[in-house]
Amino acid sequence: MSKNRKLFFIDCSEAAECCDKSQYDEANFLEKAKLMLHLAFCKTCKKFSDRNSRLTHLMKEARLETCPEEKKKQWREEIKKEYAEERTSR
Amino acid sequence: MPANTLDPNKWVDKYSDYLFNYTIVRVNNREIANDLISETFLAALKSAKNFKGEASERTWLISILKRKIIDYYRKINSRKGQAEVKINYSDDYNEGEWLEEQVADQFDRTAEDEMENNELGLAILDCLDSINEKHAEIFKRKTIDGADTEAICNEFNITPSNLWVIIHRARTALAACLEKNWF
Repeated sequence: MSKNRKLFFIDCSEAAECCDKSQYDEANFLEKAKLMLHLAFCKTCKKFSDRNSRLTHLMKEARLETCPEEKKKQWREEIKKEYAEERTSR
Repeated sequence: MPANTLDPNKWVDKYSDYLFNYTIVRVNNREIANDLISETFLAALKSAKNFKGEASERTWLISILKRKIIDYYRKINSRKGQAEVKINYSDDYNEGEWLEEQVADQFDRTAEDEMENNELGLAILDCLDSINEKHAEIFKRKTIDGADTEAICNEFNITPSNLWVIIHRARTALAACLEKNWF
């Protein structure tokens, strides 16, 4: 592949990486352009890309949250203490 | 030997995010959700002897949490003077033990359980449970917490290209799982 071709035409694995990055808004302009070009002729990647966008949409819709780490730490300690007491009292 | 056993020291790591998201959509307040989960863990430890191993640990914890949530609404209602909280003990022997400490683990799934399964957030967490643990952890940090690529790389001691490979695998597995269970 000539140097110019390499710059604009990417393989599927590179396209997948660009696609994942763009789900988090972390793909730069060149990556986005290369992805668009790739998607124009690769059906498999187009399918993957649609699926990937749908997942991003679902994740946003679900509005999931994780518990703060300090809470988890507190619970871990509480459980450890109580559990030890329960076992000795049995 | 029962099919399921309890391992309280792993409860927080395995179930706290699931319990938290379950609670937050029902009480809509983080502080209260945290309190209810804390109470749930303690009540579960106290009633561990009632766990027969018929349900999964998580189903059983959820059944205790459900009662805690109902109790919470009863309490705020009684403060308004609209309802009374009545505590019933099943018999003299168990006197002093709260109802939620006597929760049995159900082995059958009710219509309500099926409905809960339809909650998108919980369906996603369910699917995340079924994929590689480390991949799920990194995916959560990146997608749910919105952490920086660099921060995650430092935290897990991986390179950015490792991170994107992991994210890619997690996303592919998650999409496949959701397609099966959600769409």
